[in-house]
Amino acid sequence: MAASFASKCSRVGHSLFGGLGNSLSGLVTTSQEIICNKFLSQQQQQRSFIQMRTVLKVVDNSGAKKVMCIQPLKGRKGARLGDTIIASVKEAHPNGKVKKGKVVYGVVMRAAMQKGRCDGSEVKFDDNAVVLVDKQGQPIGTRVFGPVPHELRMKKHVKILTLAGHIA
Amino acid sequence: MRLEKCWFCSSTIYPGHGIQFVRNDAKIFRFCRSKCHKNFKMKRNPRKVKWTKAYRRLHGKDMTQDSTFEFERKRNRPERYDRNLAEDVLKAIPKIDKIRVSREERHHKNRMKGNKAKLLNEAARELEQGINLVKPPLVLQQDPSLTLPKIKVQVSQQQAEENRPMEE
Repeated sequence: MAASFASKCSRVGHSLFGGLGNSLSGLVTTSQEIICNKFLSQQQQQRSFIQMRTVLKVVDNSGAKKVMCIQPLKGRKGARLGDTIIASVKEAHPNGKVKKGKVVYGVVMRAAMQKGRCDGSEVKFDDNAVVLVDKQGQPIGTRVFGPVPHELRMKKHVKILTLAGHIA
Repeated sequence: MRLEKCWFCSSTIYPGHGIQFVRNDAKIFRFCRSKCHKNFKMKRNPRKVKWTKAYRRLHGKDMTQDSTFEFERKRNRPERYDRNLAEDVLKAIPKIDKIRVSREERHHKNRMKGNKAKLLNEAARELEQGINLVKPPLVLQQDPSLTLPKIKVQVSQQQAEENRPMEE
């Protein structure tokens, strides 16, 4: 994640300091990153993939509350809406099916990064949320909270769709 | 395919355009372009932003109630396909558009009605005050019709004699 962040910073840096790039190349990389950081925060908030170390909210009643992604299955840069990830439970309800420290599979339910739909529009959600599943793809919990995207139908997670309250 | 309305500016969103934002309470906000999306992220109220339809309708700049708007209401029940009905609808759409546009123009004309009289009044006043910009003072003196009637002030003969030594 640090590597990708640094590469992104350097990309922004190149666009910023176009003419001065040659003279600044000799500078220490940390100072350049700080300058890039400031510019990024003043600009748009860039949403990106769900990758290693991304903390996601759990939106079912499986017992876990927060989960950290340790591996996105499929995808070079990371997981998007509707993809499965391997995650480690960081925070859990005291009496739940899933305990803290357990390694679980999850299906990304809501992603802050926009996903393109087949009609050309794009959808984005408010936060990153996940539903815990087992290796076969069946949900561990029995309820799902919050809106759920259509994309799950294509990925054959029909069971989760039936548990959903709202389908976005 | 469905033509949506932008949440911020109320313009139609054609397929392939815009971003859809789903909030965690399952409310969907559709934006026609990033301008509206960015304004939304800045938490601006569309009723206070001058170029939106919401502002214009609220402040009486555009028509609010009209029977032509009934045709564009959202109907959630899908109609059974009937070729004749579809043909009639396709023929009716441009007619309704024409009527709506002519009614909007009439509304606009009504709104701008008092302007001409106001402009004429202002022009007359300006002419009265700044007539020296239009014609030189000599001409004004010679032609009494161009100036305002002069008020005569009586000066006694004794005062005129006293002033003569001071002029030297």
